[in-house]
Amino acid sequence: METFLKVQNLVKEYKNGFRAVDDVSFEVGAGEIFGLLGPNGAGKTTIIRAISTILSFTNGKIEVLGKDNLRYAEEVRSNIGVLTTDIGAYERFTGKENLQYFGELYGLSSSDLDKRIKELTELLDMGGFIDKKAAKYSTGMKQRLAIARSVIHDPKVIIFDEPTSGLDVLSSQTVRDFMSHARESGRAVIFSTHQMYDAEKLCDRVIIIHKGKEIAYDSVENLKTQTGERDLEDVFLKLVKGEGV
Amino acid sequence: MNSKHILTIWKKELRDTVRDRRTLVSMILVPMLLMPVIMLGMFKFMSEQAAKQQTQIAKISIVGGDYAPQLAEAIKSREGVEIAEVDVQNYKQSVAEGRIDAAVVIPEDFQDRIAGEKAVNLELVSKSTNANAANAFAAVSFVVADFNAGLLEGRFTARDINADILSGVTIVPEDLATEQEVGGFVLAMLLPLLIVMWSIVGGQYTAIDVSAGEKERKTLEALLLTPVKRIDVVFGKFLAVSTVAIISVVTAIGSLYFSFSYAGDLGIPMEEGNGLSMGGAGGSGLGFSIEPQVALLLFIVSLFLVLMFSAVILSISIYAKSFKEAQSYIGPAYIVVILPVALVNSVPGFEPVFWMFALPAVNAVLLFKELFMGAYDWGHISLTLFSLIIYSIIAILIAAKTYSKESVLFGD
Repeated sequence: METFLKVQNLVKEYKNGFRAVDDVSFEVGAGEIFGLLGPNGAGKTTIIRAISTILSFTNGKIEVLGKDNLRYAEEVRSNIGVLTTDIGAYERFTGKENLQYFGELYGLSSSDLDKRIKELTELLDMGGFIDKKAAKYSTGMKQRLAIARSVIHDPKVIIFDEPTSGLDVLSSQTVRDFMSHARESGRAVIFSTHQMYDAEKLCDRVIIIHKGKEIAYDSVENLKTQTGERDLEDVFLKLVKGEGV
Repeated sequence: MNSKHILTIWKKELRDTVRDRRTLVSMILVPMLLMPVIMLGMFKFMSEQAAKQQTQIAKISIVGGDYAPQLAEAIKSREGVEIAEVDVQNYKQSVAEGRIDAAVVIPEDFQDRIAGEKAVNLELVSKSTNANAANAFAAVSFVVADFNAGLLEGRFTARDINADILSGVTIVPEDLATEQEVGGFVLAMLLPLLIVMWSIVGGQYTAIDVSAGEKERKTLEALLLTPVKRIDVVFGKFLAVSTVAIISVVTAIGSLYFSFSYAGDLGIPMEEGNGLSMGGAGGSGLGFSIEPQVALLLFIVSLFLVLMFSAVILSISIYAKSFKEAQSYIGPAYIVVILPVALVNSVPGFEPVFWMFALPAVNAVLLFKELFMGAYDWGHISLTLFSLIIYSIIAILIAAKTYSKESVLFGD
């Protein structure tokens, strides 16, 4: 399995001395859904921002498709698609116009962009609202538009930060299906969540972060075996409460 | 820098602006409609006030009119004077209470002193807080001056002296100001302030919308995640704000100029004589044209002014987390800019020194005033343009730097 993302000894310390991320390392390969797990405030979003080059880090090294993300920031951003927890859209634009704008910024040609928008509209079931102004979208619609926006350039590394948060069952299923589809098509998917049910169903391997530190890093099955717990939620609770692996 | 990325962002922000009713109102409607209405309304009001002042009737009482019937008659027959009868004992009270505008008190020995060729003191009682007192004073002064001239002429004639020697020195007014200068004087009072004002206000909503608005809508992070360099993001947004601001400035000035040109047709007098001269012939309007080179310089200076303010407003707005917060930051900044500009613009006879043409915004106002008055000082023009370019570059660099600050972008 080819490694698409490599994070080595990542440290992010703020000026006030607070360490949001403290020596975290992991790798994610092609055709894999990798769970970045942790409670709220664990440091997951900080790690994602550091990987996507929009946040500086104090120490460590990050490589995306073998490229150092500090030296090749723009190239790295071209190869990753990040769904942030903020799913806002340009509300005076239609969904399609939103996608066209981001597609142009990612350098897609007009014909490729049209093709990609059509493909994503079908995949994420957006046909009913893609031509409507984003101001009229529900949370579920906005989330689907945000997903489409984050992968408009068909990146090899996809990072989803809490993608099912606040969604109803049907919308959550669409998101889960999309992640599975991305894995099947050989993408590396990083799934950041604190919802253990979704993580257990989807993730091949996981890293559990607590207070910025890595407390576990293995496959879901191995972690269950090591902790003697029946499901990932119990594994998570046991680890976070400090009982260790 | 990647021009394609900059162009994409610029186009998107302009498109977004055009679809925003708030921005459209502040950018096009207000400068296009409201400003000319306010300015022309102000002129109409001033013109009516001036006309009213000229036709105002002064209510005057003559105390002791019988002692100088000829003088009393002259006052009575003076245009704009109405003679009011008051209680002779209480004429001061009548003036104090505003029932009359003035009282002329003729002394009992008036005829004797005149006959004896002695000076006569004519008492004129008025109240300076009465707006019409000045009219009464002017009317009485005019009559008395006329009376004196006749009196002296009689005395000289009686002594067989030619009365022409009374003429002495007389003033023959001749105004050398050209139509250009007269019109320029009025324009120089109005336009500089308006240009500075619209340079800020015109792009304000767009600046807030593309920065703080982007944060509020939660789209900023998604934009930063694209492979577009931060400087390109800033530049695209900056160009959009500048475009909107320059459109706003041109719209405001254009519509104002157009309105003044047709002011006569709108029933607003602009002819000489009412203190509102625009140098126009026959009161049909402005009658004032801006030479092409002045218009070009005006546009270039306005452009750099707009570039500088757009970058400054953009830098300020990105600090805010919301539209409202950004507005609260820009308000005080706006006052800081406008106050010195308004001061320089309104102080009569203000003579700027060379270094003042290096002060941002103030330099533009000073230069505009010179240009409207038909003065071309290339030293002033060069210093103004050079300093505005430098300030613009500094402001853009600050905006770019601000967009790189993690604490500003992700202060969540």
